[in-house]
Amino acid sequence: MKDEVRQFPGGPRLDALSKVTGREKYAADYYSGKFLWAGAKRALVPHARLASVHAEDALSLPGVVRVLTYRDIAGSNRTGIARNDQPVIADEKVRHAGDAVALVLAESREILRAALGRVSFDHEPLPGVFDAEDALKEGAPRVHEDNEKGNLLRAVTVRKGDAERALDESDVVVEGAFETSRQEHAYLETEAGWAFVDERGVLTVVASTQTPYRDRSEIARALGLDMEKVRVVAPYLGGAFGGKDGINVQCLLGLAALHSDGVPVKMWWDRTESFLAGMKRLPARMYYRLGAKMDGTFHGLSCRIYFDAGAYATLGGEVMAMGAEHAASVYRIANVSIDGYCSYTNNPIGGPFRGFGVPQVTFAMEQAVDMMAERLCMDPLEIRRRNVIRRGEKNCLGVELKYSTGIGECIERLMEHPFWKERQAWKSAAPKWKKRGIGMGCMGHAVGYPSLIPDQANTRLDLRSDGTICLYSGLPDLGQGNASTYLRIAAAILGQDPEAMELVQPDTDHDLPSGTSSASRTTYTFGNAVINAAQALRDVILGRAGTILDISDPGRAVLLPGKVRDEASGREVSLTVIARFLNDEERTQKGYFRAPYDESTIGIFYLGAHLLFSYGAHLARVEVDTVTGGIDVIDYVAVTDAGTVIDPVVYDQQVHGSVAQGIGLALTEDYLVSDGRHDTTGLSTYIIPTSMDLPDITSVPVETFEETGPFGMKGIGEVVISGCLPAISNAFHDACGMRITKSPLTPERVLSALARKGEVGK
Amino acid sequence: MGEVFLPGSLREVFDLLSGEPEALLYAGGTDLFVRSSLEEGGGKPLVCLERVEGLKGISDHGDEIRIGGCTTHSELIRSRLVREHFPLLMHAARRIGAPAVRNMGTIGGNICTASPAGDTLPPLYIFDAFVELCSAGRARRVPISEFITGPGQTALERGEVLSAICLKKDHGCTFFHFEKVGQRKAMAISVASFAFAAGINGDGMIRKARCAFGSVAPTVFTSSNIDRCFIDKPMDEDTLRQAALLVRSEVSPISDVRASEGYRRSVAGNLVMRLEDLVRDTG
Amino acid sequence: MTRKIFFVLNGISVHVETDPARRALDVLREDMGLTGTKEGCGRGECGGCSILVDGEVKLSCIMTAAQLEGKDIVTIEGVCGEGDLHPVQRSFIERGAVQCGFCTPGMVISSVAFLNANPSPAREEIREALSGNLCRCTGYQKIVDAVEDAAKKMHGGGRDG
Ligand SMILES: Cc1cc2nc3c(=O)[nH]c(=O)nc-3n(C[C@H](O)[C@H](O)[C@H](O)COP(=O)(O)OP(=O)(O)OC[C@H]3O[C@@H](n4cnc5c(N)ncnc54)[C@H](O)[C@@H]3O)c2cc1C
Ligand code: FES
Ligand code: FES
Repeated sequence: MKDEVRQFPGGPRLDALSKVTGREKYAADYYSGKFLWAGAKRALVPHARLASVHAEDALSLPGVVRVLTYRDIAGSNRTGIARNDQPVIADEKVRHAGDAVALVLAESREILRAALGRVSFDHEPLPGVFDAEDALKEGAPRVHEDNEKGNLLRAVTVRKGDAERALDESDVVVEGAFETSRQEHAYLETEAGWAFVDERGVLTVVASTQTPYRDRSEIARALGLDMEKVRVVAPYLGGAFGGKDGINVQCLLGLAALHSDGVPVKMWWDRTESFLAGMKRLPARMYYRLGAKMDGTFHGLSCRIYFDAGAYATLGGEVMAMGAEHAASVYRIANVSIDGYCSYTNNPIGGPFRGFGVPQVTFAMEQAVDMMAERLCMDPLEIRRRNVIRRGEKNCLGVELKYSTGIGECIERLMEHPFWKERQAWKSAAPKWKKRGIGMGCMGHAVGYPSLIPDQANTRLDLRSDGTICLYSGLPDLGQGNASTYLRIAAAILGQDPEAMELVQPDTDHDLPSGTSSASRTTYTFGNAVINAAQALRDVILGRAGTILDISDPGRAVLLPGKVRDEASGREVSLTVIARFLNDEERTQKGYFRAPYDESTIGIFYLGAHLLFSYGAHLARVEVDTVTGGIDVIDYVAVTDAGTVIDPVVYDQQVHGSVAQGIGLALTEDYLVSDGRHDTTGLSTYIIPTSMDLPDITSVPVETFEETGPFGMKGIGEVVISGCLPAISNAFHDACGMRITKSPLTPERVLSALARKGEVGK
Repeated sequence: MGEVFLPGSLREVFDLLSGEPEALLYAGGTDLFVRSSLEEGGGKPLVCLERVEGLKGISDHGDEIRIGGCTTHSELIRSRLVREHFPLLMHAARRIGAPAVRNMGTIGGNICTASPAGDTLPPLYIFDAFVELCSAGRARRVPISEFITGPGQTALERGEVLSAICLKKDHGCTFFHFEKVGQRKAMAISVASFAFAAGINGDGMIRKARCAFGSVAPTVFTSSNIDRCFIDKPMDEDTLRQAALLVRSEVSPISDVRASEGYRRSVAGNLVMRLEDLVRDTG
Repeated sequence: MTRKIFFVLNGISVHVETDPARRALDVLREDMGLTGTKEGCGRGECGGCSILVDGEVKLSCIMTAAQLEGKDIVTIEGVCGEGDLHPVQRSFIERGAVQCGFCTPGMVISSVAFLNANPSPAREEIREALSGNLCRCTGYQKIVDAVEDAAKKMHGGGRDG
């Protein structure tokens, strides 16, 4: 495989043209002929027993076609991945403000809006619970009465060595309580879709989703349909970042289409509804104690982490577990004790978000590491280098790192960077009113699913009778460009021009279940499947071309754009002709891949351990305004080990985008909810960075070669985001000599920290 | 949904308003349609002022500059007259939203919205701007501080249009400073803002000073106490520290989703400290 | 309540019969079938719905249909000439400025208007010009690169003709 790396042709993303001209059709862009708009009436109360829904007033409005409630649902009316706990439309209870209580179908967007205002419902308010730790206390109001463990959704423990004893034996112990905010995905394209029942009686749902295959079974179960009677299609998404990993519009749309008398139905949440009903990054509270020997060697780590899942499970428990698995960040620590808890509350629903629990724990651990360096009067990079985990060593779960592990190199690369070497000079040149600081954060991120969940992909490549080659994708393109990369991978192996090939977006009708577009696996896992399919098709084409051209030594035939050529004789045959000499079965080649897994780790940890990780080390240079408390990120360096860089443009896109979201998370992003009511309602109160708020970012790849990855790569989609919170927090500490342990580091928090030390206006 | 009128002259506007007393006026729509979306407008007729002759543009009237009520923020920023005589207003306008919002939003809309966070307002208070109000029968001029009566409240009467803002050139100030604290660098509503203008004598003593703060009181906050404490003093740390203390004690901010009362109060004072740069950089 | 509204759309005189209080955005997307103009917020806060009105960037989500009357409107679909991409579009492709692409039409519209008025901008000016167009995918860096590059293409003596 190593050889083929050199052949991997870069170039502009193949989806860019249709997007830059406005021609790409997203899930929100379906309108055709007569159709209806569907919209949900949201509860807006965080916890209540639901009595009756009043639809008469809405139905009296001309153009209102139907008002549906849970009574109109034939199936289980429940969706969910780890637990089946979320109603499509609330039945007995409302568990968070974004629950749907009714579904309205209307002839236009405007009528729908008016109708939703006229639907009302009776309810009996219930006391709610709004804090992950409070939720676990005796007598806390219960969010799901049928959950045997009260409000505890999931707990995990890790015990390696004897952490308590190790902390006693340590020369220095640092401790801290850390808290992270509820981050909203804020993808530009809010949840949207289009659904209809076709001539065959199949319910087709076109949706902005990361998970078409899983959605199909969820829709079928919730609405009481046969799996065969449901089809899900996933066009290009307008961003997702984990927030479209699971059901949002799909079931409501499906239900609407079952009651629309054969007319297609459109649903498109507006921003407020997207915020209200959509998933968020789980806020976390983390109690850390880290012990080290005098020489800086980490000896013991003990931590308790609490994640707030909100009203429904989605993958909240798994997010917490992933956090626990990464709680020790990238260090070798002999004695570890981790207790992780994930609670139900009446808060907005938590769920996957780029980083999947890792940014939270990395915020805690990487600050603890800096605190330790300070106590030991060590250089923060040096203490990291000393403890960093290397290939062949065991991580905090006790799992041996058998695959590429380049975090050591990442740290070394950072040590050489001028921003690090010249840090004292830069700091002392701070302008008036400003304090300057330099901080770092290291992180790792598992690629793919944990060992118990088969991480597998299926793809199909067709040589069509007209000689064109078509690739069937099983994983949606959320914006990360995987579709384009798949084409380039196949094109590289088949010697074709990728622009002449076609890519068919995921559609459950193609029956290529490949898991979800998440977990940093879209290129790693599916890319491998593409390689397998492409090699199979290459062999078939070359074999048949050999017969046609009468070549005895098949090694002499080469695939060129649109044809095969015999290098010795110079004779050529076009793919169109070759296609004619192949039967249907031969023209269709499938590729399968399953990522490495280790069943022996299943006993160690919930769902088993991850085996393969990407890594990074970050440096932030910040300026703190002592007048306003504002923090400016002046420069940012992201060193990343995500294996080989097969496509530098797509690679840097992921780095830049992750850093942007990470800086947002560190400085401004905090979705505010008080007692379950949403104070944040739109993009003017949920503050994501604009083009003026971000620095240019320096991306430095450390190219390890990952033998199991396509062309040596591993996942780049998530790892980067986890470094920003710690790098910026540590830089703030470096600038001001104080620590903020609750994120984001808003001007308000900064200014009151400065005030405590009399540093305002200095 | 309702009718939308696009009158071309003030006369037409007044006719429409007398025929449709329920009608809602708008200019750029960047406040009206954000506060209540178009569907929620309740079907009331809308009167759009964007094409009304005479409501746009900035003109020189000798001792006075006249800014049409429907002048957009982008036009303010580009105007040579504004830059020359009221650079503070230009600086403030530049910090509003982002280019498209500034292309649509108008100074009249900013005033009539009467938000304590309206960014053009502190400079207008400092220069004692008058607003000109026209209705079918009459025209009147009201000082801005009297026109805005509370958060979201103005002395605009039914049937009236804010036709212009008038600013006297002889304000006697040569030093100007504007700073806005928002949650990010663009597309940010002011959490606190501070506008300052001063006249300073040759010996460095402050002859005249005017301060105005946004977002720290129900309306733009000004105080003769504060202005007075600069007089006959140099712009040094002592003076500024005293002024800052006074500011923190006099403002009356609230807590909301963007910031707490306490933060607004301290930052309002802190912003004054930065005036130190003004003399150092320009003097 | 409907009325006929006449305007020029991407260089062609058109009219549409509709309720004048509908959002211009909906008229463009639903009635004219031009779905390149995106809605990301509906409240002026994201720039996704940016269009050119007489050459100036405006937000079609907070504009009424009535305001289209008599105007020269350009949407993303009309940015390029006959079959040819606008230099801004070419630079967006070449410089990797496109990820999910949902902000892209608005970004391109803002960039085109900006470069028309500022032929050789500094990086900071580009950042300011695009500050009303939120992008959640790119961190803006490659978008700024692309606009810089487009400025060279448009005004730099056909370096990249
Ligand atoms: C994304 C975004 C960002 C923003 N950022 C800022 C910011 O940073 N700073 C800031 O100050 N504002 C900001 N705003 C608010 C708004 O853009 C400004 O207040 C703008 O000046 C309003 O002008 P307009 O013409 O659009 O008002 P409109 O919405 O048209 O009108 C607002 C109100 O004023 C009345 N009105 C308007 N013109 C007249 C007139 N001539 N006579 C009588 N009544 C009139 C209307 O009836 C209406 O009640 C922002 C808005 C948005 C959408
Ligand atoms: S949709 Fe118009 S600005 Fe967001
Ligand atoms: S490319 Fe996705 S929002 Fe900009």
